[in-house]
Amino acid sequence: MKIVIEDLEVWYSSIPALRDISLEVSEGEMTFVIGPNGAGKSTLLKTIAYIVKPKAGAIYIDGKSISRFSPRDLGKIVAYVDPQISKTIPSTVLEFLLTARYPHQATLGFSIQRHDLEIVEKISRQMNIAHLLNRRLDELSSGELQRVLIARALAQKPGVLLLDEPSAFLDLRYRLEILDYVKTSTEMNKITCIVAIHDLYLASLYADKIIMMNNGEIVAAGRPEEVLKKELLEKVYRVKIHLLNINGKNIVIPLEPIERIGLWV
Amino acid sequence: MALPLYERRVKHFFASLIILVTLLLFTFTLSLSIGSAMLDPVKVFKAIFLKPFGYSAEDNIDVIAMLRLSRALASLFCGASLALAGLLMQTITRNPLADPYIFGLSSTALTAVALGIILVPNLMVYKVYMIVVSFLGALAGYILTLSLSKLGGGSSLAMVLAGIAIASLFSGVSHILLYIVQQIVKTPYVYLLMGSVSTVLQRDLLFLALPTLLFAALIPALFKPLNAYLYGDEYAKQLGFNPTLVRDSAAFIAALLTAITIAFVGIVGFIGLAAPHIARFLVGSDHRFAAPIVALVGALLTLLADIVVKLVSLFAGAVGELPLGVVTAVIGAPFLAYLIVKKVRE
Ligand SMILES: Nc1ncnc2c1ncn2[C@@H]1O[C@H](COP(=O)(O)OP(=O)(O)OP(=O)(O)O)[C@@H](O)[C@H]1O
Ligand SMILES: [Mg+2]
Repeated sequence: MKIVIEDLEVWYSSIPALRDISLEVSEGEMTFVIGPNGAGKSTLLKTIAYIVKPKAGAIYIDGKSISRFSPRDLGKIVAYVDPQISKTIPSTVLEFLLTARYPHQATLGFSIQRHDLEIVEKISRQMNIAHLLNRRLDELSSGELQRVLIARALAQKPGVLLLDEPSAFLDLRYRLEILDYVKTSTEMNKITCIVAIHDLYLASLYADKIIMMNNGEIVAAGRPEEVLKKELLEKVYRVKIHLLNINGKNIVIPLEPIERIGLWV
Repeated sequence: MALPLYERRVKHFFASLIILVTLLLFTFTLSLSIGSAMLDPVKVFKAIFLKPFGYSAEDNIDVIAMLRLSRALASLFCGASLALAGLLMQTITRNPLADPYIFGLSSTALTAVALGIILVPNLMVYKVYMIVVSFLGALAGYILTLSLSKLGGGSSLAMVLAGIAIASLFSGVSHILLYIVQQIVKTPYVYLLMGSVSTVLQRDLLFLALPTLLFAALIPALFKPLNAYLYGDEYAKQLGFNPTLVRDSAAFIAALLTAITIAFVGIVGFIGLAAPHIARFLVGSDHRFAAPIVALVGALLTLLADIVVKLVSLFAGAVGELPLGVVTAVIGAPFLAYLIVKKVRE
């Protein structure tokens, strides 16, 4: 599914969060959104999922504005992985994963289709969380929970997959394995995948396109080697950068902060 | 893994269902047998449940049991309503410590009823209006507690503390008001304040039963939004549910269920707290399973508590009976203490 964003503007009551955002994302590609804390990455993803309503501008999925989708139809198409879910009422991983199938089921109806259980089964094997299905969500390690959250989004079988900080809390192996899996499944199922991430190393490994944001605006967009440039990175992140070229990919090595936080001020 | 796990859940559900229904029948019969004239439970069972099949009871057992029937049915439906209200409140506040009594809904509903009786003494006769007044009171209590807890930071413990403040204030106010209207209410006002099923009339039973049955009929339409709501507003939103709508309609039902019990039975605390925990322990948090089970657990607990009330009044032999709410509080408050300790440890 092709996403087109035109002149998007988003405010949180009186705080501006996004300005003049225009971009296009094609299907079967992984687009990485990078930028410092508070740049507006999460806001962009939430606006595409229509969790946050824009003040101006429009978002089109395959030519149809998201405001014209019914919430239910949007739920069939778009999955946003929220790093924060509520776990105060104890529930198991399986109970959580099964909710992912709701947009595809009839609103009424008591029984669960075998098909839905099989999807959850398959994805929990692939995410290596099958042994955790009967565990409570609040009794998982951060990395295990992260895999459960991603598995939920995949079980929704979305056309548009929005991942917010998917690498947070994951160990070395799962960082690579899961992004690798998402990339393969993006290409195979023609998913449109947008990833907000802080790990520039992962971005350079897996991104087809990179969008760099700062202060609610897009400062650069394009293929990784066009965006991951020394001057640009140093300007946006305020960090001295060294670029390494490995296997034809620009790998970002952060060296030291440009301004030091003074201890005695 | 997913398939066998789910099948096990379903099995647990049906096993719990069968066991609870059996226990409920047993307790129900027991409740009918206990009174100033002690009856043989086996004969009572036959007299009540085999009557449609042409069984005729001896020694007027069926007459006596029928006299006790409304009381037993009242505790059953009162318990089911409170337990469902508790489950809904725990879900919409995402707070395992929520309960219509702890959150102050019961006290504000009772205050509204007392106020209504003072202003319009005829209110007692028009049950439907009494329910409406009680419902508005419960709704006001919910809104008050939630607003107060938001001022206090909105954590789950802030909600409990806000609820306790509201509940104490309005149980005091309703105390005073009920004291004034004692002549109109005729029954000693302690019973409304602490709940009693002994005064429920047969013709009022329908009012008590209706909301519970109505909600039970709605479960197939409600369980998915409620399940999605458990994990957060934004989570529910992206599955296509409107969290505000879920919250408001569940609060509406919970307030209605509470209001009905207040109008006919009075304040019975802690059933709404304990039953959801027991139900989740048995069948998990999926409302498809938890909602029917919680109603049965609530009914069972309340029936048992009422049996205790009857036994105490029989053997301690004081004037009148203990209020039902006293017994549920003695059992339920330590449970709350346990939950709070567990919560604070986390
Ligand atoms: N719910 C909210 N209410 C008010 N302001 C918000 C809200 N959420 C985000 N903001 C503000 O909007 C701006 C963009 O936030 P956003 O969460 O999109 O940043 P981000 O790029 O995801 O940052 P991070 O890397 O820290 O996750 C920030 O200035 C933030 O303070
Ligand atoms: Mg963010």
